[in-house]
Amino acid sequence: MSEDLDPGMSQRRELLRRAAWLLGGAISAPAALAFLQGCSRKDAGADVQASGVLSAPEMDTIAAIADIMIPKTDTSGALDADVPQFIDKALGALYPESEQQRFKAGIAEFGTPTVDSVKQAIAAALTADLDPKPFILMMRELTLLGYFSSRVGITENMEYVPVPTAFHGCVPLSQMGKHVYWE
Amino acid sequence: MESNTFDAIVVGTGMSGGWAAKELTEKGLKTLVLDRGRMVKHGDYPTATTDPWDLPHGNRITQETRHRKPVQTRSVYPTPANTHWFVDDLDNPYSEVNRFDWIRGYHVGGRSLMWARQSYRFSPMDFEANAKEGIGVPWPVSYDEMAPWYDYVETFAGISGAADGMPTLPDGKFLPPMELNCVELDFQKRIADKLSRKLIIGRVANLTAPLTHQESPQRAPCQYRNLCIRGCPYGAYFSSVSATLPSAERTGNMTLLANKIVYELIHDNDKGKATGVRVLDAETGAQTDYFAKVIFLCASTLGSAFIMLNSTSSRFPNGFGNDSGELGHNLVDHLKAAGVNATVEGYTDVAYTGRRANGFYIPRYRNIGKDKRSYLRGFGYQGRASRQGFGRFNDNAFIGAELKQAMKEPGPWTLNASSFGEILPNHLNHVTIDRSRKDKYGLPVLKFDTLLRENELAMQKEMVSDAVEMFEAAGYKDISIGENNYAMGLSIHEAGAARMGKDPKTSVLNKFNQVHACKNVYVTDGSFMASSACQNPSLTYMAFTARAADHAVAELKRGNL
Repeated sequence: MSEDLDPGMSQRRELLRRAAWLLGGAISAPAALAFLQGCSRKDAGADVQASGVLSAPEMDTIAAIADIMIPKTDTSGALDADVPQFIDKALGALYPESEQQRFKAGIAEFGTPTVDSVKQAIAAALTADLDPKPFILMMRELTLLGYFSSRVGITENMEYVPVPTAFHGCVPLSQMGKHVYWE
Repeated sequence: MESNTFDAIVVGTGMSGGWAAKELTEKGLKTLVLDRGRMVKHGDYPTATTDPWDLPHGNRITQETRHRKPVQTRSVYPTPANTHWFVDDLDNPYSEVNRFDWIRGYHVGGRSLMWARQSYRFSPMDFEANAKEGIGVPWPVSYDEMAPWYDYVETFAGISGAADGMPTLPDGKFLPPMELNCVELDFQKRIADKLSRKLIIGRVANLTAPLTHQESPQRAPCQYRNLCIRGCPYGAYFSSVSATLPSAERTGNMTLLANKIVYELIHDNDKGKATGVRVLDAETGAQTDYFAKVIFLCASTLGSAFIMLNSTSSRFPNGFGNDSGELGHNLVDHLKAAGVNATVEGYTDVAYTGRRANGFYIPRYRNIGKDKRSYLRGFGYQGRASRQGFGRFNDNAFIGAELKQAMKEPGPWTLNASSFGEILPNHLNHVTIDRSRKDKYGLPVLKFDTLLRENELAMQKEMVSDAVEMFEAAGYKDISIGENNYAMGLSIHEAGAARMGKDPKTSVLNKFNQVHACKNVYVTDGSFMASSACQNPSLTYMAFTARAADHAVAELKRGNL
């Protein structure tokens, strides 16, 4: 593929220039590149490997739960969107150590995920209104966040228009095709 | 020395500094414009076109950001897409007797890049309130004096809005209004019928049509991406970087320097004038003096308060121009209360297209006409109706194919409203300099001592109960009240630390934003505000800055400075 047809590449280079500027020019190019690559995810493939705070067996468990929560149907599923990898990284980046450990303990206690066990765990957690949030709800929140911040999750379920150019306040859904992405 | 001497110096490049730079250079003054932060040119917006899937961690605030920015993350803004606009709190500390949230960015353009763009005039009622009620000091300026300056800045900036004909929220020079969506229109009718409350579309500094002038060829109409806070490559919203600084640049009269921390004004006791500013280079630590005939402090309310408090001399032992003892005092913000949210039934077969960078506004109705409350002044609501996104799946038990099916439909309509209320100016709410602590540059830091008082606490209760009442009147059933996490500062509308007034014994600035005791220093950021009303303040800072610059140039020509 020529570089011109790959908006990702030229955009990434531009981002790299700007990131270097942003960080006061003090960052080396390879370090900046690693930073940028860390920002984006592959769009497909369920190559489940631990790269953050979770072990390989822990990744297997959350991959199984994510696949049950958002399976592949006529649109991509959680595994197509690299949700387990997202969770692994997000857990390390967004949560304090104590929450990470609680999440890991939740994985260990969950056992082998089945459709029924996931369903029952969610139903039980929703009625209990527990604080801190039970593992299964934290898991679902991260699965939804990972899926709906992925390219396939957004573009296959919604109409993603990067530059809408106009706002119309009252449009019949029947005229919209897929409903639009608003977040 | 020669190369360090200019006609004018402008300190700061945010909302007011950009205007001072534009007006002074266009009127022919060779002007040095200094910002303490890094350079940002129009287009230097690294995340402006980044798609959601290219932002890390679903664009949630990271632990690393929380660690470096414990104050900035008291707000919701420093996400991976925006965190580069917010200061590092470990490098830029301050002291708090009581919690005060000082949310800010150190870069050219300042908070004019991150602002919410809501643009409302103050009304005659707002300028008259202090005098009528004996609060603070009377405003030395009337609405009629300011109206032409509002016209002037609105025309240049481009403000979208509707002419609503309300004496308490004067109409301006507007570009076409944005649309309310169907549920907002329905809500508008219901609260008008039941409670006689008026709901309008927000007035916002986004271009809904080409500007009516040719001075900003770099600016194009709004594309409805609603990513304004990241910086707009279209120049569709007003900022110093997209609008005023390019105009100043084109005159050839501006020297703009980044990474220059102004920490002191130089006062000549014999001449009774300020002669220049002392500057620390943020990168090299080098110290330099710059000189000019007139100085505009536009470093933000608290930035200017710091510079003035830190500028002591035999003439001004308690801070620059502080003969009144009011410098650093009467600090206000806009009061927030818990937001209120409701689920709206119906309208399931309609939605909206495009991402509107705006919401509705319910202007102040309390303590107007016959309405009399237990507290003074009032508040306005800002909010929007929208269809819920994927967050709703956190509240139900859907999984698997059932969840996948539900994803293809937009969620139910919800409507939220949150409010800004007026905080009364009070001498007790103040900042001083804490010389026991130093920032990264070895400079002392500010110390905040502010509290919400009786009037604010009474108003805050009604800001919530009135919203609930409106939602009930509209027939909404599932009404929920959010958390109240407000402390002074969190509305990011801090103002008043060098208030203007007629009497030099009780105020720091005169009606033209000149320091009473040193006429060649003008302070035109939020510091001058004798009261803050409840409207978003930036448009008022713009109008006063343009007026002050006009005054300064006339006074220079008359030989009065």
